[in-house]
Amino acid sequence: MEQLLANPYVQPLILTAVIILVFPLVAGYIVLAERKVLADLQVRLGPMRVGPYGVLQPLADALKLMLKEDIIPSRADKWIFWLAPVLSTFTALSAFAVLPLSDRFYVADVNIGILFILAMSSIGALGLILGGWSANSKYSLMGSLRAAAQMVSYEVPLGFATVTAIMCAGTLSMQGVIQSQFERGVWGAFDNFGLMLIPTALFIIAGTAETNRAPFDLPEAESELVAGFHTEYSGFRWALFFLAEYAAIVVISSLCVTLFFGGWLRPFPNVAFLELPLSTVFPVALFALIALGCLKGVPRQAIFGFKLVMLALTGAFLLLAAMFALPVTNEIVIGLFWFVLKLAVMVYLFIWYRGTFPRFRYDQLMDVGWKWLIPISMGGLILNGVVQLLARS
Amino acid sequence: MENIIKTFLLTDLLKGLWTTFKNQKPSKVVTEQYPLARPPVAERYRGAPRLNNHPETSETLCISCNLCALACPEQLIVVTSERNPETKRKDLTTFTYDVSRCMFCGLCEDACPVDALELTQDFELATFTREGQIWDRQMLEEGPLPVRYTH
Amino acid sequence: MAATTLVPPPVQDDTFLDSNELVLNMGPQHPSTHGVLRVILKLDGETVLGADCVIGYLHRGVEKIAENRTYQQFAPYVDRMDYVAAVSNGLGYCLAVEKLLDVEIPPRAQAVRVILTELNRLASHLLWLGTHALDIGAITPVFLCFREREEVLSIFEKYCGARLTTHAFRIGGLQYETYDTFEKDCLAVCDLMQEKVKEYHDLLTGNRIWVRRTTGVGILNAADCKDYGVTGPVLRAAGVPWDLRKAQPYSGYEKYDFEIPTAKNGDTFDRYIVRMQEMEQSCRIIRQAVESIPEGPIKGKVGKVIKPPPGEAYVSIEAPKGELGYFVVSDGSLNPYRLRVRPPSFVNLGALDKMCRGTLVADVVAIIGTIDIVLGEVDR
Ligand code: SF4
Ligand code: SF4
Repeated sequence: MEQLLANPYVQPLILTAVIILVFPLVAGYIVLAERKVLADLQVRLGPMRVGPYGVLQPLADALKLMLKEDIIPSRADKWIFWLAPVLSTFTALSAFAVLPLSDRFYVADVNIGILFILAMSSIGALGLILGGWSANSKYSLMGSLRAAAQMVSYEVPLGFATVTAIMCAGTLSMQGVIQSQFERGVWGAFDNFGLMLIPTALFIIAGTAETNRAPFDLPEAESELVAGFHTEYSGFRWALFFLAEYAAIVVISSLCVTLFFGGWLRPFPNVAFLELPLSTVFPVALFALIALGCLKGVPRQAIFGFKLVMLALTGAFLLLAAMFALPVTNEIVIGLFWFVLKLAVMVYLFIWYRGTFPRFRYDQLMDVGWKWLIPISMGGLILNGVVQLLARS
Repeated sequence: MENIIKTFLLTDLLKGLWTTFKNQKPSKVVTEQYPLARPPVAERYRGAPRLNNHPETSETLCISCNLCALACPEQLIVVTSERNPETKRKDLTTFTYDVSRCMFCGLCEDACPVDALELTQDFELATFTREGQIWDRQMLEEGPLPVRYTH
Repeated sequence: MAATTLVPPPVQDDTFLDSNELVLNMGPQHPSTHGVLRVILKLDGETVLGADCVIGYLHRGVEKIAENRTYQQFAPYVDRMDYVAAVSNGLGYCLAVEKLLDVEIPPRAQAVRVILTELNRLASHLLWLGTHALDIGAITPVFLCFREREEVLSIFEKYCGARLTTHAFRIGGLQYETYDTFEKDCLAVCDLMQEKVKEYHDLLTGNRIWVRRTTGVGILNAADCKDYGVTGPVLRAAGVPWDLRKAQPYSGYEKYDFEIPTAKNGDTFDRYIVRMQEMEQSCRIIRQAVESIPEGPIKGKVGKVIKPPPGEAYVSIEAPKGELGYFVVSDGSLNPYRLRVRPPSFVNLGALDKMCRGTLVADVVAIIGTIDIVLGEVDR
């Protein structure tokens, strides 16, 4: 056993399997979170029927999607139609390989990790383009044309913002970036006397566009193009596109968190006296509070099964709280906790935009991309470079 | 200058974000959980029809004057009656009302001289068959028995 | 590409290989054609070269139905044309028949009519705002608008027992007396609106994406408006202060003090602003009407049987979407001999092609939204 674990391939393999198996569920819960948060923003309740407060909704959705009829349009190019969602999902999930989930959970720490993520997300665009083109529908075609143009344009400011961050960190490895932030004692976003905030903001904007999220959701603009590139997709294929979209969101958010917000580091990583309150008390209190909320919700449920679900949730959160209370386990999971928390904030941000902003028009999108974001990101790069040179020499 | 600062600080967008953010207060939720909590319906609501009986004698109030059937634009009410040789008045025999074609305009209700026909506050009218939508006298007097939603 | 599955066009004309132009069929099942409108777009890339509307998917022959119904019996049917502004439809129809009958409407009935139609204008504009914003991609305003609209609809429900297809008015006046808290409810809606309009302004008016999506889109200038017979907010946004409530007052509108909001450019943003201001003006009218609501009977001298003398009458009112006209011909019988409706949505929709040319596909949905059509009224 010891020997087996010592093998450098085993741990990554296990982690890969776990990610591939668990991510669909995670994506389902991100969808649920999105629906719930959107509902909150829109004075609604969101899903409430499947399980207490709709907590089992993702399972019902997944079941529905799997049972749906799989329709291939008769004039579609079958192979490409088949390939497109696979390509999208594959590339989006591959990018997970280099995500530093915590100091000990990661599949691989490649020294070109960031480059790999950018490359994968570019190839992912191909899935959208092929999917839209192969369906042989005009709406899909227009959606995929938009996707192509959008991806190409927004990769540039995204790239510049990333380069600025890399320059600041001095490495392309994801773990290395976090390490450098630890050493400099400040999150990437606030480095260089706060000038790094420029690339941070640009990265968030361009990242939204890169993942085709509102207000840049032109490839699937449902009020214009019905559903854009996946108009003709249904059932499980469509679910794969969905999975890819959410995987892309997670990847871009993780990249953002890693480059600019310290990855799995806790806030103020170098201030020693914050260790106890931030790393132990905060997570324990957080989960204990959630558990308490779940427990309070038990009597409010009318149905016995729902009561059980609420109790199970209470138990699960108590367990989590206990895990953070014990120093042995705390050490293992605390990195993951901060990473996931930051990720959640990013995802919330994505949903928040979607609930607030109208959609850009195609030409305006290009306009914003080329006339504003690219020049500003270049300027940010130069400025940060000069400041860094002066400050560090 | 002010405008330029506003443009770069995205103040207009932040204002919108703040507006939606404020909406998250749980007290602002307006959703009604319909089958679990039935919304209150106004007193004058024009819903399921009812043929009223006399509260004491529980005889029908309807005098078979046929005015409701004449008033109805959709002509979906059919009233038949028999002349009672003793009282020399018409007695109601059947009364059918096709709810599926009704638009709940209230003209029949207005036309009735004795307030026998009334549109009530009941609004759950779904049935499993089309025939179920044609209400006879008994159903009109007793009110609909829709399949209630239980969780 | 599976070339074998492509069916070659029957006639190989010169433009066959010209791959620049694309014909896109939008609707009748499309999320943002507001019902069952079908628009055939000719595109060059994403630029619209021309738009052709195909209508009639919701045709129910309302005008023909009128010929087979008595005057009272037809009244509920008009609600089903512009179903988001049913009260205005009812008012137009009742006024037309009343003109034929030449009856006097008691002042109390007139005041209540004004209040309800203005409330309906609020409801209609709120629905327009929500769906228009949804077309442009902002998904939150629609829920907020429906929340406010709910308040208006609950007044309708309490007053006449129905929320959408109200059948609130009868020929000669009103059927229902106002309920106890009617005045209070109306004023509460006005107060609520004043507060909520600010929220909409925060969400949309200042938002740079919204401004960019709407300014300069779908311009229709005053001359074009007149050529196409376009009325309502679309006309007023082009700078023509034409409002039938002022131009030929009916139902006692001359008694109330309000302004006609206008704008200059006649683009989508201007129409948006005009409608937002109209909502505020409606609140102003409701306030005045509620405060000065007279006592008295609610129904004029009309018999149980309505039998107008032979003749014809045309009455047009300012519905939320524009000039709504009813033309009734009577041959002295119980049924109208002919009834013709001039629906504002139908006429305004005629200008779609003019407004769409040269814009992008995304603008087409914005323009359809900004004309504010209801297909029930377009198709009748
Ligand atoms: S409500 Fe109207 S449609 Fe229904 S039965 Fe009465 S008169 Fe006829
Ligand atoms: S109008 Fe009233 S009394 Fe006359 S037949 Fe109809 S229900 Fe009976």
